[in-house]
Amino acid sequence: MLGGKAIFGASMMIGLCLAPCASGSGEAADEEFFETRVRPVLAGTCVKCHGADKVSGGLRLDSREAMLEGGDSGPAIEPGDPGGSLLIEAIRQEEPLLRMPPGDDPLPRQTIADLVSWVEGGARWPEAVEAAGPLDADAHWAFGPLRPVEPPEDPNGWAELPIDRLIASEQRELGIRPVERADRRTLIRRAYFDLIGLPPPPDRIERFVDDPDPDAFGRLVDELLAMPQYGERWGRYWLDLARYADTAGDNSDYPIPEAYLYRDYVIDAFSDDVPYDRFLHEQLAGDILAAEGPEGDYARRVIATGFIAQSKRFGTRKLEDIHQIIEDTLNTTGQVVLGLSLRCARCHDHKYDPISARDYYALYGFFAGTKYPFAGAEEDHRPSEFAPLVPKGRLSDFEEEHSEAIDRLRAELAELKASSTLPDLGLAAAVEEFVGLGERADRARAELAKASRTIERQAGRLSDRIAQLEESGPGAFAPKAYAVRDGEATDAELQKGGDPRTLGEVVPRGVPRALDPSGTIELPGSGSGRLALARWLTEGPPRALTARVMVNRIWQHHFGRPIVATPSDFGVRGTPPTHPDLLEWLAADFIASGWSIKAMHRRIMASETYRLSSRIDSANAEVDTGNVRYWRFDRRPLDAEALRDSLLALGGNLRLDRPGPHPFPDTDTWRYTAHHQFKALYPTDHRSVYLMVQRLHPHPYLSLFNGPDTSVTTASRDSSTVALQALYLLNNPFVHEQAAGFADRLIADEPDPEARLDLAFLRAYGRAPSGAERSRAAAFLGRYEEGLAEEGCGDDRREVDAWAALARAVLASNEFFHVD
Amino acid sequence: MAAGPLDRRELLRRASAFATAGGLGAYRNLSIAAAAGGGHPLAPRPGHFPSKAKNLIVFFMTGGFSHLDTFDYKPRLQADHDREVGGRKVLASPYAFRPRGESGKMVSELFEHVGGVVDEFCFLHTVHGDSAGHSAATLGMHTGSVTIPLPSLGSWISYGLGTRNTDLPSFVVLAAKEPYNGFQVWDSNFLPSYHKGARVVPGADPLPDVNSPVESASLRDLEAQMLRDLNESHLSGREGDDVLASRMATFDTAYGLMREAPEAFDLGRESAETLRLYGAEAGDPSSFGAQCLTARRLVERGVRVVELFDVGSNTNWDSHNDIEDHRKLSRNVDRPIAALVADLKRRGLLDETLIVGCSEFGRTPWQDLTPVGRGHHSRCFTCFLAGGGVRGGYSHGVSDEYGDSPAEDPVHVHDFHATILHLMGLDHTRLTYRYSGRDFRLTDVYGEVVRDVIA
Repeated sequence: MLGGKAIFGASMMIGLCLAPCASGSGEAADEEFFETRVRPVLAGTCVKCHGADKVSGGLRLDSREAMLEGGDSGPAIEPGDPGGSLLIEAIRQEEPLLRMPPGDDPLPRQTIADLVSWVEGGARWPEAVEAAGPLDADAHWAFGPLRPVEPPEDPNGWAELPIDRLIASEQRELGIRPVERADRRTLIRRAYFDLIGLPPPPDRIERFVDDPDPDAFGRLVDELLAMPQYGERWGRYWLDLARYADTAGDNSDYPIPEAYLYRDYVIDAFSDDVPYDRFLHEQLAGDILAAEGPEGDYARRVIATGFIAQSKRFGTRKLEDIHQIIEDTLNTTGQVVLGLSLRCARCHDHKYDPISARDYYALYGFFAGTKYPFAGAEEDHRPSEFAPLVPKGRLSDFEEEHSEAIDRLRAELAELKASSTLPDLGLAAAVEEFVGLGERADRARAELAKASRTIERQAGRLSDRIAQLEESGPGAFAPKAYAVRDGEATDAELQKGGDPRTLGEVVPRGVPRALDPSGTIELPGSGSGRLALARWLTEGPPRALTARVMVNRIWQHHFGRPIVATPSDFGVRGTPPTHPDLLEWLAADFIASGWSIKAMHRRIMASETYRLSSRIDSANAEVDTGNVRYWRFDRRPLDAEALRDSLLALGGNLRLDRPGPHPFPDTDTWRYTAHHQFKALYPTDHRSVYLMVQRLHPHPYLSLFNGPDTSVTTASRDSSTVALQALYLLNNPFVHEQAAGFADRLIADEPDPEARLDLAFLRAYGRAPSGAERSRAAAFLGRYEEGLAEEGCGDDRREVDAWAALARAVLASNEFFHVD
Repeated sequence: MAAGPLDRRELLRRASAFATAGGLGAYRNLSIAAAAGGGHPLAPRPGHFPSKAKNLIVFFMTGGFSHLDTFDYKPRLQADHDREVGGRKVLASPYAFRPRGESGKMVSELFEHVGGVVDEFCFLHTVHGDSAGHSAATLGMHTGSVTIPLPSLGSWISYGLGTRNTDLPSFVVLAAKEPYNGFQVWDSNFLPSYHKGARVVPGADPLPDVNSPVESASLRDLEAQMLRDLNESHLSGREGDDVLASRMATFDTAYGLMREAPEAFDLGRESAETLRLYGAEAGDPSSFGAQCLTARRLVERGVRVVELFDVGSNTNWDSHNDIEDHRKLSRNVDRPIAALVADLKRRGLLDETLIVGCSEFGRTPWQDLTPVGRGHHSRCFTCFLAGGGVRGGYSHGVSDEYGDSPAEDPVHVHDFHATILHLMGLDHTRLTYRYSGRDFRLTDVYGEVVRDVIA
């Protein structure tokens, strides 16, 4: 019966789902199709002569109405009938007298096909696009200056702090009351996983539980914020946003041995609570800041621009498709810092967000004038263009090393030329030809050609390397980072339709007008101007938006749910905040604190809202099932890193020191291609933030547990639970090893089985077992030992094995995997 | 057994609990269907319309297998060998073709065994795609996108139809080596991750972690019961949290896999005659014959989609230097493919199993790096279908006299995908998933079903 009901339910629900989706999909698909395939063609090709400025043949093609009205020859389109539409006839160029576009080559075949299907589908001109009209920056909740907010008094007396008062006022509207506070055991486990991603040690739990100080929790928070593990936990969130990887993502996925410098920089910046505005300046312009001194900060500031350098690479050649690399920079920066997607504007004016193609190329110039590092690629194995970590004046320190290296390479080249096997093969080919065996002669010739190609290639590589070294000077031997260097002041040409071969007008560097009506910022006389851009983000008009986006992210990671559900989309298509006033208040507070992230942690964690129990109250759930109003604390699963680190910690194997660079193969051995990509796994007992992650090959453990996606900026991770995760926890040797270590430590630390069980529960769950759990575990241990005896397991192993089995069950359990 | 009235509030409560599963789920949008009734997220669902095919088996031949040396016979190509046409030199096929089956289909010696069952096959000779690069084209053939990664065909079908045996994954990939783009080729991308292809590396240990290091079944049971009891005890006082219950359910599925997978992958249970048919009698579990036989066993046990990769991203069908290289590669796949079709047929399973064979593109009619090699060719190449309601003994579309471009009835990769979904009972325009503010489809905004290939 039950099964039947469940299946009935399932089919009903898919009915509910598919009907609206299907109709919705038509519209969305039309809109997308129009925006990506039709509008760019009309706007880019047709409207020049058939638009507001010029009306050739009395025809305008800039609106559906105008097309239907038509020109001197009649309507341009017959919706639904491409064959009867003059527009289609013209672009197909079937009639000699009606060929469009004039003079130029015909439109690409795909474009013609697109316009045909558009007319066939009724020539829909999405209304949403028209109705939205030009976007008004002041009207959108995210773009204006910060609104002053006065947190209302709570008549129920529950809320005192501003955050709680703002939360409570939203609850009152729905008649919801928050649940009780979480107990101290729950609270300390919550705070530990939240701030450092590790379980609290039992003695710290007991001290906190017994602490009579009313500010015990505040002191605990301070203590956790001061631990180095804090930066490893919260820096990881930024690394998700920065799509951090240890490889480049070109088609062979070249390794970047220096990438870890940026990873460590981010961790340190969070630990040191570098103010967020300064942190952003460093991300986007650390190389320029570095030159301003002091010298002690030179290296870390250059390293910070790894944020830009981490942009995905493409293809097989050195910095191939730079326009796509820059697109990744702009798109990532836009989403991460401003919550704005810029990608669409590469090809056409963004229709949802107020970003024009001009705005895009105004920003593009800042990065076109930036020198990106090159990690190596299929047709050029050697990394180059990395950023030196010493100031220009110190590069001469490396002169000796430099000239020695050039001498060495020259000697190698000479040797290669001397030892060539070409003459032998040439002779073989000549012999075969002479003997008259055509086919064999062909083969011999082919072999000769192949061999000479190989030698030429090797010699070419050596000469290139020598030329490279001569050009780069002694700086080639300075320590370097996968970071950027400042180039010449560059204003980019607009790439029509996003095609770098079809260039339009030069667009002076500037900023999106929707955020700053002047569209310009003051630029230095030389250099890319990135520092001015970075300062504009935090000191110019977008200051409020930048702060809103960041406080939303901090809130998101504390509560598992952001105030704006689309943390990297604050644009018109993003989701408005569930608590608009709270967002404003937090952003203002953040700026007032000097952009201190740690101050924001303290502010949020001091609230009653943060300290609520995770109990489900059925009356509240009736009104607000998803806990959108924060009447309880949402129970959360451990993420991939917290789970692995906790397993290692309980197993007694976690290494808390910092590992440094990964053991990549030596650069001289690199020959990676699309057919033989770089792919490696480097096992380690260090914290998971230090695992080597590739862009093209996901780490098997991290991807199984929904780890970060290294190909694109990730604002929030998937949290799906699948059976393969269960299999991992049940059977993977790593888990068995940690469980065995956990059991060994328990046995070593506590001889008495009862007290040992207490210790096990305390370490894994932060609490002692209940009476029922105690007897259940005892029964299990007894029966398991009996079972082991029946299997012929020796006396000396039984206790250890039984405890290891119990440890496995504990480590796989829901209580270990979730934080209340 | 009348189903009780639907408690709408309860359904919505569960749906929204699922949507917020794990906190961040709200905007990853777990499918509502998955939440329905708290049932298994992979429970079978009806398609958009009735169809013969229930299961799908895909053969993906990595590297670009030549249409001109296999199934698209071009007399003109043979006649014009070494002649210059449009600035390039024609390369005739070195392989002999002869008519096979009742349909008289011209098949080359490379597919001797497939020729023997050719009347079950339907060939599409004018498939064309958007990229002639391995990585992009392989991605395109699997996801419809040659640029950004999107959900794969198998994931879309899993999402649309669920699976018939929730003890096994809905989508299994049998691949000894990784193809171009690796996992992206079978990834679920934004679809919920249980629609991801579960890659099995053929060999002794096909599914990771499916075998317990604890040998004794009774000890394993004790441990499983202990885990269940810990979870029950934790659940008391936390009732109403579906996330906890659904995680407990994943352990039940895991135990199901531990029970069923070893048997499903155990070819020792097949008769000597069957093993011989597939050429798998040598007992090498990583041979392509063994993979084909495994595919049949999986489909029999209710797996919805199985995809097989014969080779990986190197030493594959990419015969730039010498088209003779195709001989060795075809020897590896010809007999097992024919065997699978014949075996499914005699077991009455061919009608409900759709077979698809393709590569990321074909190869040029022209000489490439050497006078005996062929280059990449995405403008026109051949894919094949069999079983599952497909019109056997039929060839669709005609390529021009050199097999260079489609001459009649071109079939874009999007059309090919639309057709496969149609044969599985899914309407490609209605199989959508809302992500990032947009309804995505496998076929983007394109795709037309090739109706002529349907029986």
